[in-house]
Amino acid sequence: MVMDIQRDQRRFKQIVRGRIRQNLRKYITHGEMIGRRGRDAVSIPVPQLDVPHFKYGKNGSGGVGQGKGEIGDPLTQPGQEGDGAGGAGSEPGTGHLVEVEVSLNELAEMLGEELELPRIQPKGTANIESEKAKYNSIRQTGPESLKHFKKTYLRALKRQITTGNYAPEDPCIVPVKGDKQYRSWNDVPLPEVNAVAIYLMDVSGSMTDEQKNIVRNEAFWIDAWLTHQYRGIETRYIIHDAVAKEVDEHTFYHTRESGGTRISSAYKVCADLIASTFPSEDWNIYCFQFSDGDNWGDDNRIAFELLSQKLLPVVNAFCYGQVESPYGSGDFIDSLRKEFNDHEALILSEIPDKDAIYQSIKTFLGKGK
Amino acid sequence: MLRDDFLQELSALVGQTNQQICVIDGPRTVKCQVLQCDPLGAAISNLALETGELVSADIAKLETASKSLCGRVTYLLEPISPIEIDATGCVVQMRSNPPQKDDNGLKYYELTLRQGGSVSLTRYEKQPGNSRLPVPATLTHEVLGRLVEDFNIAVEEVLSS
Repeated sequence: MVMDIQRDQRRFKQIVRGRIRQNLRKYITHGEMIGRRGRDAVSIPVPQLDVPHFKYGKNGSGGVGQGKGEIGDPLTQPGQEGDGAGGAGSEPGTGHLVEVEVSLNELAEMLGEELELPRIQPKGTANIESEKAKYNSIRQTGPESLKHFKKTYLRALKRQITTGNYAPEDPCIVPVKGDKQYRSWNDVPLPEVNAVAIYLMDVSGSMTDEQKNIVRNEAFWIDAWLTHQYRGIETRYIIHDAVAKEVDEHTFYHTRESGGTRISSAYKVCADLIASTFPSEDWNIYCFQFSDGDNWGDDNRIAFELLSQKLLPVVNAFCYGQVESPYGSGDFIDSLRKEFNDHEALILSEIPDKDAIYQSIKTFLGKGK
Repeated sequence: MLRDDFLQELSALVGQTNQQICVIDGPRTVKCQVLQCDPLGAAISNLALETGELVSADIAKLETASKSLCGRVTYLLEPISPIEIDATGCVVQMRSNPPQKDDNGLKYYELTLRQGGSVSLTRYEKQPGNSRLPVPATLTHEVLGRLVEDFNIAVEEVLSS
């Protein structure tokens, strides 16, 4: 039976979640949550959330329902004498902001609900659990190398005592075949990690700090959603200017570079990473690439070769988000559209400013691949 | 020398359209596509100083020279600064910083200093919803002369550093 307090508490949580959901876009577009991980709680101020409480009236001023009157007469407040006019107060208000702690996982869940993101359907070995042998039982048979000496001698001792063959003054214990005990194993199912998200970011000189922040913000929320979807998801980060390299999470979110832009360098590192570590038969692979699209020279041709031959055939989804360059010179997304017209694994999104992050996430994850 | 010869060639083009200027001084060649020219100024699509002297220039030298070039070229519509330094291709890209913005989109100069090599200038326009396009840069004869001079100094700086 659900107690009233539990019902009230549940309702309170629903109200809080509703308030947060109303402002979810704001939380997504500002980047202060970057760097927090799944279990970290985020304090979110929820305005105008009135917590019910008792108020005491003035002593000796009577009460509602006392005194003369007929049924149907309107009531006045105690101590109130007819009409009057009051001025506005001059003191600052004491409105309360309630700080609510919400975990990033909950926020990711709300993000999914708000954007109506479908649950991702894993492929391949998604439902297969690998089994690991754990030596946690005893058997009567087995190889000598697994013989459990202590249990074997204990059993032999019990047998000798019960059969009267044990002499305390001459404690000689000789195990026979039936005394022998062997270590044995049980197969313990272990969930298999089967999804990897690879983030590729252009950190070249043409990407301003504002653009990099947009990219990092979007990558962070996508990461939060995927982590919520896949327990134990692998995450890898690649940054590039004219040269690409795999980096750790902190470097990804904090690097400043000034080099030229060669997107093919990132594709090559990504393709090598997939080939060496994440075979597509066993892994759900999601790539998220962000750039201002201001690629140099004839690099598009090399990039497209890598994309069509080594990346698109093996990934669940390859998402490319193009942020608006201050020079507006990025045309990589247009070239992608022309080259890979409606390829089912390729998802494209233009991100002109931070307000577009919300829609971009929906574009990337809305297909639930 | 290059500057004077260039300005002389430019003066000879007054009243003409779509002409190419090519001025040679030893290993250095200045090329300029002049779209329209009048006594005061000219609309050009590209200005470049090409030379084989920068064949062994490394990216550090190009970067230093590009910073110096940006410091001198203060007479265009927008200030110029290095944007991307491509160590792989040994190219430094400089652009208007910030670019000129208006209701029709934005415009900016793009200069490149390349190993090999060359120094060049082009003006681009990006209208909303379209790819960027090179557009004519309208400059006075005096400014064009100064650009040729500053490109020449940039090459000298790479060679002397």
